[in-house]
Amino acid sequence: MGLRAAISRGTGRATSRLLRLLGRNASQLPGRVALALDPKLLASLAPSLSEGAVVVCGTNGKTTTTNVLARAAQEAGFTVDCNWRGANMLAGITSAMLFDKGADWAVMEADELSCVHVLPQLKPRWLVLLNLFRDQLDRAGEIDHVQDSLVEALASSPSTGLVVCGDDPLSVGVARRAAATGTQVLAFGIDETLPPPPDRVPEARFCQVCGTELGYAWRAYAQLGDFSCPACDFARPPLDFRARGISVASEGVSFEVADAHGDPLAEVEAGFGGMYMVYNLLGAFAAATLMGISPEAFAKALSSYDPKNGRLQHYRLDGREIVLNLAKNPTGFNQNISLMLADERPKAAFFVINDDYNDGKDISWIWDVDFERLAEEAKAGRLHVVAGGHRANDVQVRMKYAGMEAPIASTVSEALRALETMEGEGAESPEPLYALCNYSALWPAKAELDREAEAL
Amino acid sequence: MSAAKSLSICHLFPEALNLYGDGGNILTLAKRLEWRGIEARVREVSLSERPHFADFDLVFIGGGSDREQRIVCERLLAQKAELKAFTDDGGALLAVCGGYQLLGHSYVMGEETLEGLSLIDLTTDRGSPRLIGNIAIESDVCAHPIVGYENHGGRTHLGEGVKPLGKVAFGHGNDGKTGEEGAVSGTILGTYIHGPLLPKNPGVADWVLARALEHRYGTAELEPLDDSVELAANRVMYTRLMRGEEKE
Repeated sequence: MGLRAAISRGTGRATSRLLRLLGRNASQLPGRVALALDPKLLASLAPSLSEGAVVVCGTNGKTTTTNVLARAAQEAGFTVDCNWRGANMLAGITSAMLFDKGADWAVMEADELSCVHVLPQLKPRWLVLLNLFRDQLDRAGEIDHVQDSLVEALASSPSTGLVVCGDDPLSVGVARRAAATGTQVLAFGIDETLPPPPDRVPEARFCQVCGTELGYAWRAYAQLGDFSCPACDFARPPLDFRARGISVASEGVSFEVADAHGDPLAEVEAGFGGMYMVYNLLGAFAAATLMGISPEAFAKALSSYDPKNGRLQHYRLDGREIVLNLAKNPTGFNQNISLMLADERPKAAFFVINDDYNDGKDISWIWDVDFERLAEEAKAGRLHVVAGGHRANDVQVRMKYAGMEAPIASTVSEALRALETMEGEGAESPEPLYALCNYSALWPAKAELDREAEAL
Repeated sequence: MSAAKSLSICHLFPEALNLYGDGGNILTLAKRLEWRGIEARVREVSLSERPHFADFDLVFIGGGSDREQRIVCERLLAQKAELKAFTDDGGALLAVCGGYQLLGHSYVMGEETLEGLSLIDLTTDRGSPRLIGNIAIESDVCAHPIVGYENHGGRTHLGEGVKPLGKVAFGHGNDGKTGEEGAVSGTILGTYIHGPLLPKNPGVADWVLARALEHRYGTAELEPLDDSVELAANRVMYTRLMRGEEKE
């Protein structure tokens, strides 16, 4: 390590210690300070990793996949640097490596548009690409732009292999271009025919190569499925990691993983999530296998997985079960609606939408969420909805046009009071509440629940 | 035989033009008819079809990514005369974002200047940076301000005497300079205010529906609706912007 890098690391560490002493969040600023002194600090820190690095990216599921993978590496006996809390730009990843004392692995999630800065410095062994959905068009631009940036990132680190979701035409579009310039590509996906999903294909309906509308043998959700172009050779690639025997229920998911030849590798079981979680866990399993982590260590990590990061966290307050989850784009929201509908009890929802910079200032996407799927339950009196967040009024309008009335509440406890009024006297037991929050709305809701409610 | 009124709405190429919650506009049009006891017959017309515009009372063109917008424009240029006949006959046309740019004589994509539909005397070129952010305008098509979001690289220039949709109170508008946003010509309304333009701006929705009703029935009487939820959302955003929210 050169003098400049050493000074930069030292200053970053000092910043981190100071912030912790003050009880402040040290997940971003130390890295930012260090990078101001040496923008290439990460490149100096990376060689001390004895095994190397794995980077996880994709629109939805990064934080969960990264946490599961890093936990599995620890179960396998490796030491791990990880940006556990999801600070996923260059500064956050650098912060997570500042105190590295020669860890075996760095397991990092990276924002899609940050990969182009992270990969050339960190030079990870693998990049896991989970999915690409439309998200934050005002900040990230159109998906074409995100794809170009990922292709450029992979070209800047030729030693990085790509572990891609083979069921996602948009991610495969990236893989195909990267492979053409020499990137090694492995694909994971689902190896059985699924029943038709309730949602529509919101994006990526067209072939990434020739523009013809894609056909599907079956579809899991959004644009994920066994796709092929009727006019050219663009299609789902052969799968190196296959999930089959999939069960998705309100208690969680389970499936078997097989290798490229169809030979079974392991059973995967988790007490949380819907169809999207099958992909996250399959991606994590694929990366774990490539890192030399045994299926047993992976299973052990999953069974004790409890990150307390606001993703599918369960609470109890005033006798009411509360499920807190992140939902920040149409695909994420639609998957959460599927989760809610899988719960057969009468229930309540608190939809909380902010429009801070981190969320994207443009919340037009709430009109792309299929809230109409909930209208029937609401009409039958089996669902009550409350609107929240800085854009609560927009949520309320959206609900009105989906056929639902939603009072506005500014906190979880206000939402609970509104629900008590709506449920009325005769209610047998309080309905379970699904609090679905976008990015910046998640943290205040979590803080309130951590303070007021019993964690389950 | 039912005496109930009914309108035909053409949603053009939703598989390609579906950026920024455009479906919200169609949903709003349909619901506001339904709430008044008027049947809304919405036809989603795909790229593989050739719409028969004379069958419709209202045509909606949304926004798409550059690649998709080019496909759409080529498709529509082949029916330029039919679309012109439709609006000349009083059919209502609502065009948002990328769709708005297609209404003019030409627009620029990358280095290329492409021919537009020439339905309104306007042209669009490109500028830097993109004009992004919340927007509020004052317009005489409705009593409330129009609020929404804009995100466009295009700079649209209105021809002599072409009426803008409104004056920018907050945000950028057509070109970021003239203080004008959108364009209205006869029964055509074009604007950069994308996505859910209509839900929070019920007056704009009703203006478009009134044009469509005139086209079908010769009169444009619309029963008033309870818009308190919509107008509250409109007011919250307008107030926030006017209090000096930071521009992006």
